[in-house]
Amino acid sequence: ASADCSSCTCQQIVFLCVFVYNNMFVCLFFYICFSVFQVHLASCYGGLYGRPFIESFEETPMLVAVLTYMGYGILTIFGYLRDFLRHWQIEKCSIAREKENQKDFVPLYQDFENFYTRNLYMRIRDNWNRPICSVPGAKMDLMERTSRDYNWTFEYTDRVVQDVINLGSYNYLGFAENTGPCADSACEVTMKYGVGVTSTRQEIGNLDRHEEMEKLVAKFLGVESAMAFGMGFATNSMNIPALAGKGCLILSDELNHASLVLGARLSGSTIRVFKHNNMQSLEKLLREAIVHGQPRTHRPWKKILIVVEGIYSMEGSIVRLPEVIALKKRYRAYLYLDEAHSIGALGPKGRGVVDYFGLDPCDVDVMMGTFTKSFGAAGGYIAGKRELIEYLRSHSHSAVYATSMSPPVVEQIITSMKCIMGEDGTTIGCKRVRQLADNTVYFRKRLREMGFITYGNNDSPVVPMMLYMPAKIGAFGREMLKRNIGVVVVGFPATPIIESRARFCISAAHTKDMLDRALSVISEVGDLLQLKYSRHRIQPSPARPFDDNVYEDIDD
Amino acid sequence: MNVGTAHSEVNPNTRVMNSRGMWLSYILGIGLLHVILLSIPFVSVPVVWTLTNLIHNLCMYLLLHTVKGTPFETPDQGKARLLTHWEQMDYGVQFTASRKFLTITLTPVIITSSSFTYPRFRYILTSFYTKYDRVHFVVNTVSLLTVLIPKLPQLHGVRIFGINKY
Repeated sequence: ASADCSSCTCQQIVFLCVFVYNNMFVCLFFYICFSVFQVHLASCYGGLYGRPFIESFEETPMLVAVLTYMGYGILTIFGYLRDFLRHWQIEKCSIAREKENQKDFVPLYQDFENFYTRNLYMRIRDNWNRPICSVPGAKMDLMERTSRDYNWTFEYTDRVVQDVINLGSYNYLGFAENTGPCADSACEVTMKYGVGVTSTRQEIGNLDRHEEMEKLVAKFLGVESAMAFGMGFATNSMNIPALAGKGCLILSDELNHASLVLGARLSGSTIRVFKHNNMQSLEKLLREAIVHGQPRTHRPWKKILIVVEGIYSMEGSIVRLPEVIALKKRYRAYLYLDEAHSIGALGPKGRGVVDYFGLDPCDVDVMMGTFTKSFGAAGGYIAGKRELIEYLRSHSHSAVYATSMSPPVVEQIITSMKCIMGEDGTTIGCKRVRQLADNTVYFRKRLREMGFITYGNNDSPVVPMMLYMPAKIGAFGREMLKRNIGVVVVGFPATPIIESRARFCISAAHTKDMLDRALSVISEVGDLLQLKYSRHRIQPSPARPFDDNVYEDIDD
Repeated sequence: MNVGTAHSEVNPNTRVMNSRGMWLSYILGIGLLHVILLSIPFVSVPVVWTLTNLIHNLCMYLLLHTVKGTPFETPDQGKARLLTHWEQMDYGVQFTASRKFLTITLTPVIITSSSFTYPRFRYILTSFYTKYDRVHFVVNTVSLLTVLIPKLPQLHGVRIFGINKY
C-alpha cells in the first residue's frame, strides 16, 4: 500500500490543481491518462478508501444489442402466431381459460399480461425450480425431469443426477451442510426445545436462545444491540415502516431489492431514487431535498434515510460505503445498510462491508442483514444503537405479529457465528473467509481472461456473467446441466431487456478443483454458444454512464 | 421471472425504447423491410416506397398505439394496464429523447416516398402532376396522420369514440 501511495503522490499533485470536489469526471480523465485500469480512489478522495475499488461494467457491444432485439422480435412474432393458433383451437391450449358461460362477464384473466409467461418463459422454464434431493452444498443431487409438452408439465424419470457442482446457492461460507458441529448442535437443541415455537416474541416466544443469539450478533457486528426476525424479506418490509413515515424522505438506490422497495412504499414516505452507486446523484438529491424541503409545503423533512445494500446481487457491485458515510455526515441524514449478501462474505474477518472498508460500525445507523446466505440458516436481523432496537422491539410489525425463529435455526446461527468469530476454539471460520476471498479473486480473474463479460467489483463473490440474447439464457442453463453444473440464469423482465445474465455465487466450500472444472466447462459452453463478448476495454469505475434520460414514476 | 426483482423499476416497458442499440435496430428494421419489398420483381420504386411507409406506419400504430398494458405482470397494481406503449414510455413524460426520435423518423419516410413520385417536387403541399401521383400522396399522408396524431401530447390517454378504451 505504501508503494502505491508514493507512486500516486505525483499523480495527486498534477490533478489536485484541477480537482474540484464534485467533478469526478475531470480527475478520472487524468487517471485514464496515467493508469490502465486500476483507479486508486484512495488518492482521489483524500484517503477515504483504504483499498483499491475496482469495478467494471463493460458496455454491451452494439451488434449483440441489435441481435438481442431481433431475438425478442422473432419471439414476439411467434408468440402472436401461437396465440392465434390457440385461440382458433388449431393448437392445444394448456393455459387457464374462463368458462364458456362466463365469456360475457368482465374478464377474469387479462390475456396480454400473461403473454411473456406463456410464450417466452414457458419455453425455458426447465432452468428454474429444479428439485434438489440432497443438501445444497458445494455439490448437490438433482431429480431428473423431462417434459413431453414443451415444459407445460414435467414428469420425473426415476433417475437422480448426482454430484452437480452448485454455482447458484448463496452458500458463501459453506455452512449449508448436514454434518459437522453446526448440524450436531442444531439436533441437540431440537431435542431440548422442539422445532416450533408457536408464539410471537412479545408473547411466549422469547427463548433464551434468542436472547443469546441477539447478543452474539451485536458482538459480531461491533454494535450495541441487535434484534432478529424469522424472515429476511419481512425484516426489510416490516421494519422500514417503523423507522420512516409520512414527512420523511427515503433515498434509495436504483437497484435495491424488492423487500427494500416494498418497505419504503409501505412506510408512506416520499421515495427518491438515485442512480446505482452514483455518489453525485445521491449528493444532488440530498442537496435538493434539504434546500426545497417537502413537496408542497416546503417544510423541512422529518428525517432523511439513505437505503443502500452491501452487495447488489444482480450486479455484483459493492456499495461505495466510505463516500455514503461522508455524505451522510455532511448532510445529517441516516443510513440503512442492507448487508444481505455481504455479511460473512466480505471483509478480512467476515464482518461484512463495514469491515471490508475498515470503517466504524457506529457510523451506520441501521445495519440490516440476513442469516440466509453466509450462515446457512434463515431469517434476518437489525442492529444498531440500543435505543433503536428497544424501539423496534415494540413498534415493528415483525416483532409483534410474526412467530419467532425456530430453535434449530437459532442454534445454527449461533454455532456458525461463533465459528466465524473463532470463539469455538478452531480456525475453521477464519480459513473459510480467506478461502472465499481467494476463490472469488481466482474465479473472476479466470473468467475475465477467458473473455467473458462479468459485472461488478473484483471482490464480490456474486459474479454475473452476461448472456444478452434470450435464446442463450435457456441454452446456457441446459448445456451447463448436461455437463453436471447447476447455474442460475436470469432474463427480462427481472433484468433490463438486453442484459440477461447467468449469476454465479462462489462458495468457500468450492475447492480449487471444482472451480477449475467449472471454469473449463464454462469455457467450453462459452465457445459453443459464442458468449465471449469482451473486448477487454475495461473502464475504470465509475464506469456506469450517468444517464440523464431516465425518468421515474412519481407518486406525489 | 418476476418483474422488479433486480431493480426498483416497476414497469420495464418504460425504458425499452431508451436501451442501448434500440434506435439503431429500429432503423435497420425499416431498412430491411424496404430491401425486402424492393426485391419483389414486379413493383415499381415509388410503389415500394409507399408500401414501406404504409407497412411501417401500420406496424407502428398497432404496436405503439393499439396494444395496451404490459406482456408481464407488473408490481404497479395495474396503473399501466390501460395505457398504450407510447403512453407508457418514460412514465408519460412528454418530449423525451425517444419520443422525439420516433416522431421525427416518420417524416423522412413520407418525404422520400412523396419525392420519389414527384421528380421535381420540393414541398409536400404543392400542385399535383398526374392522377397516379395524387393517389400516392393522399395514401401516404393519411397513413402518416394515423401515426402522427396519437403521438401528440394533447392526445395522451385520449380514446376517440371509446375505441380501445378497455
